[in-house]
Amino acid sequence: MTNASNADPVIRIEHVWKYFGELPALQDVSLEVFPGQRVVIIGPSGSGKSTLLRSVNRLEDIDRGLIEVEGVDINARENDINKIRQNLGMVFQQFNLFPHKTVLQNLTMAPRKLRGVAADEAEARALSLLKKVGISDKANVYPAMLSGGQQQRVAIARALAMQPDIMLFDEPTSALDPEMVGEVLDVMINLAEEGMTMMCVTHEMGFARTVADRVIFMDKGQILEAGTPDEIFEAPRHPRLKQFLNQIL
Amino acid sequence: MLDDKNTAPSTTTSSASGNIIMVTDGVNIPDHREWRLINAWSLSLGGAICALLALCFIWPDPYLQVLSFLPDGLMVTFEVTVLSILCAVPLGLLTGLGRISRNSFINLAASTYVEIIRGIPLLVQIFYIYYALAKFLQVSGLTSAVIAISFCYGAYMGEVFRAGIMAIPKGQTEAARSLGFNRFQTMFFVILPQAWRTILPPVGNECIAMLKDTSLVSVMAMPDLMQRGRSFAAKTYLYFETYTIIALIYLIITLLLSKAVSIMEARLNYYDKRK
Repeated sequence: MTNASNADPVIRIEHVWKYFGELPALQDVSLEVFPGQRVVIIGPSGSGKSTLLRSVNRLEDIDRGLIEVEGVDINARENDINKIRQNLGMVFQQFNLFPHKTVLQNLTMAPRKLRGVAADEAEARALSLLKKVGISDKANVYPAMLSGGQQQRVAIARALAMQPDIMLFDEPTSALDPEMVGEVLDVMINLAEEGMTMMCVTHEMGFARTVADRVIFMDKGQILEAGTPDEIFEAPRHPRLKQFLNQIL
Repeated sequence: MLDDKNTAPSTTTSSASGNIIMVTDGVNIPDHREWRLINAWSLSLGGAICALLALCFIWPDPYLQVLSFLPDGLMVTFEVTVLSILCAVPLGLLTGLGRISRNSFINLAASTYVEIIRGIPLLVQIFYIYYALAKFLQVSGLTSAVIAISFCYGAYMGEVFRAGIMAIPKGQTEAARSLGFNRFQTMFFVILPQAWRTILPPVGNECIAMLKDTSLVSVMAMPDLMQRGRSFAAKTYLYFETYTIIALIYLIITLLLSKAVSIMEARLNYYDKRK
């Protein structure tokens, strides 16, 4: 199921270029993600991995190339990006919970306003998601009263509340205190075990090793190496990857 | 024994995100955390009320006479102020949104409006709308007063709205957009409800400044507080007595309003702190 190359990819990235002014952030990047696959992107900071992830739901506009999500060109004008994004859950480094809404309201707001889900149904679903991420007792508090790890778990639940087909994680544990990393990774591992298609930018090599089907190594806006966790971590070929792994492991 | 908070003349308010909006007119909004009985606000208000009562009690003639001549004018002042606020706040919101719009035409229109209005004194604008525009269309004193004041303050408030909206971290927009909210929904469900907290104190301040500036409409014979005072003084030659009372009344109203803004500000902080 994991490397189902006979199925169509849910994300297709083809020859994508992106510039920040003169600086190329993405250089001819191509990547395919298949249903149920867990792709983890690693690389030094400034390597373009977050930019690549953010291009997938068009938080960044690309300059050249093609990005398709479930067969739909996300950059084409005739396709409604707001509809496409409803199927792409995103989790940010800085959580970005809505501080003026309670935890429960954070989860129910998008389904109610965008999908027209009835209030009690949205709340029931939100509560079961909060239970799943282990914070059902905090449903009625404001995000400012939660720890970083709790906030990030709420953020994951908020993204899941829209019942997306794909989840994007942009360094979800990088802003957390070390002792809170585990609780967030546990939620993500559970999600992976349920078969969620995931694209994750992270510095957590342990997570990449255990959860990923495919690890992508990026540097200077290019994919330098891609493979299974064993291939990447046990038998790296590219000298830049070897150097990177030596520095962090 | 006043501390810095009370003596500082600035009207600086800072939001949770650490952004600061400076407003140079209006009044000092009292800090809602300031609970002590003796502070600049309570001294001013207490002093003004005592002075008013003392004057009317000790010399009912002429002070009580002045006072009894003014309530009609006060109603007109409130009428102009409330109508102008009702027009200026939406105008300010539109202007602020226009100033951050990506549409270059809307952006240019809003920016030009702000530049023009800010460069012309309010008194000139009032004269212009009441007298100069009368060449083309006749409007009543009240209408032209409200138009002039709300156009002027709409421009100032536009800047406050713009700053308040820009002060919300970009991650909030990204989170809302990534859930599938469009620009409009993001602004109204996520950004403005948060920005309102930063915006309210300076907007409240502008409203108070506006109340004071309504005294300018007396030049076009609007029977507001100031104009009533002027006509009373002209009849009786009691300039000192009349304008003392007028000043005290304006002072009491603005102090009460500034307290109201401060209370509202505290209420809007409900989600901020660990309680």
